[in-house]
Amino acid sequence: MLRADSVSLAYGDETVVDDLTLSVDSGEVVAVIGPSGVGKTTLLRLLSLSLEPDSGRVTFDDTDVWAVDEDERLALRRRVGMVFQEASLFDASVARNVEYGLRIRRQWRERFREQLRSVVRLNGTADAVEDALEVVGMTEKIDQDARSLSGGEAQRVSFARALAYDPDVLLLDEPTSDLDPRNTAVIESAIETARNSGIGVVVATHDMNQAERIADRVAVLLDSDLTEVGPAKAVFESPEDERTRKFISGELVY
Amino acid sequence: MTTGLASLALLAEFPFESVYVRSIIYVSLYVSIIAVVLSTLVSVPIALVVGFTDIPGKRFIKSVINTGMGFPSVVVGLLVLFAVSNQGPLGPLELVFTKEAMIMSQFVLATPAITAVSLAAVTSVEENVRDAARSLGGTRLDVALVVIKEARYGIATAILAGFGRAISEVGSVLIVGGNIAGSEGVSKTRTLTTAIQLEARQGRYETAMVLGGVLVAIVLLVNAIVVRLGDDKVMG
Repeated sequence: MLRADSVSLAYGDETVVDDLTLSVDSGEVVAVIGPSGVGKTTLLRLLSLSLEPDSGRVTFDDTDVWAVDEDERLALRRRVGMVFQEASLFDASVARNVEYGLRIRRQWRERFREQLRSVVRLNGTADAVEDALEVVGMTEKIDQDARSLSGGEAQRVSFARALAYDPDVLLLDEPTSDLDPRNTAVIESAIETARNSGIGVVVATHDMNQAERIADRVAVLLDSDLTEVGPAKAVFESPEDERTRKFISGELVY
Repeated sequence: MTTGLASLALLAEFPFESVYVRSIIYVSLYVSIIAVVLSTLVSVPIALVVGFTDIPGKRFIKSVINTGMGFPSVVVGLLVLFAVSNQGPLGPLELVFTKEAMIMSQFVLATPAITAVSLAAVTSVEENVRDAARSLGGTRLDVALVVIKEARYGIATAILAGFGRAISEVGSVLIVGGNIAGSEGVSKTRTLTTAIQLEARQGRYETAMVLGGVLVAIVLLVNAIVVRLGDDKVMG
């Protein structure tokens, strides 16, 4: 469905992503593992269609994303959801945060009318908002101020915010690295739910146990290079690449 | 606020002057509010563009803004007067000694202040919040609206600061407005500040005090709102 094909990207002189190929299909979870600073985030940004590669192609349902005009690219971009390591919620209620993706997809006239209604508090909550919050167990906090949430709760809301507009692909950049085990478990189960509803998920993580728990396929990113891509079991139990084997066994320390 | 109440009490003792005083307050508020509204409509987009895009001449624009904040208001008045005078580029509009000319000079004075404070407010919005808006499918306009919303208290402070500068300004409005009041004592281009200096010079200290009290009350009220916004720790 979404595919980066031999993509490379450099910031100035520094090559961050070098000739990488990675794809994700509906209903599968792909984990990108590797040490920090190796280009996982950049790879995700390329897949989120917000960065254009210096070379290579990014395709969405076989459409070359950077060959079409901006409107079409926006339409494709809007089928992708992304969750960052930091929750980055807006200074508004939980409901308004989760609603955001739905709101900006509406016509301006409707958005303006909604804005007026919200001033006099006439708006109800969309079902999609409640459903998304249900997935991360946050429905009770729907009317709370997002800035008053704990880190774990905020990240769960941030996940719901990306889920609410029903994207086809969900990109998660170290979504649980700042979280305690309980909130991590909630996010992992939400990833499971997303996969079961047909969403393709790419999750960047440095936590190999997590990758093993949740991923169908694992891509190992070492030195700006994908050393191994394959089914999770195969990658962890019998890696073909020597560097991957060393990284997984902990011999290779970054 | 007690000053405001005292001045209201004084006002009650001078019923014969109330039309005069009220029309002066009206002119002051009218000119300052229109100027600040127009200035905000220009300043906030400039702050967003300077804050978040890589346009050429960004440093130049920033230094213009900073210079503008300290620009002598009488010189602004003089320049606006040249512009609207018969020989000036806006001469055909016949704006000399009108409220419109006063709005123009207040606009020129308020814009750098509002832009500078808005710029500080919008650039303090964290990058990850902008990233989030974009990653959720936001266009550039959507992201800009999120930034304005996140920086709303800072921008409100900027607007109030601009209003404070405009309403207590005397030099430029005197030059371009002319401090004119009609024969029935109704102000045409006379503002609180220009009226105060005229009344004081002519020895009508009571009227000057009433007007001064009203001006101080307005400025204190505006400052109280600014302090309140800052106290809520919600800036940026």
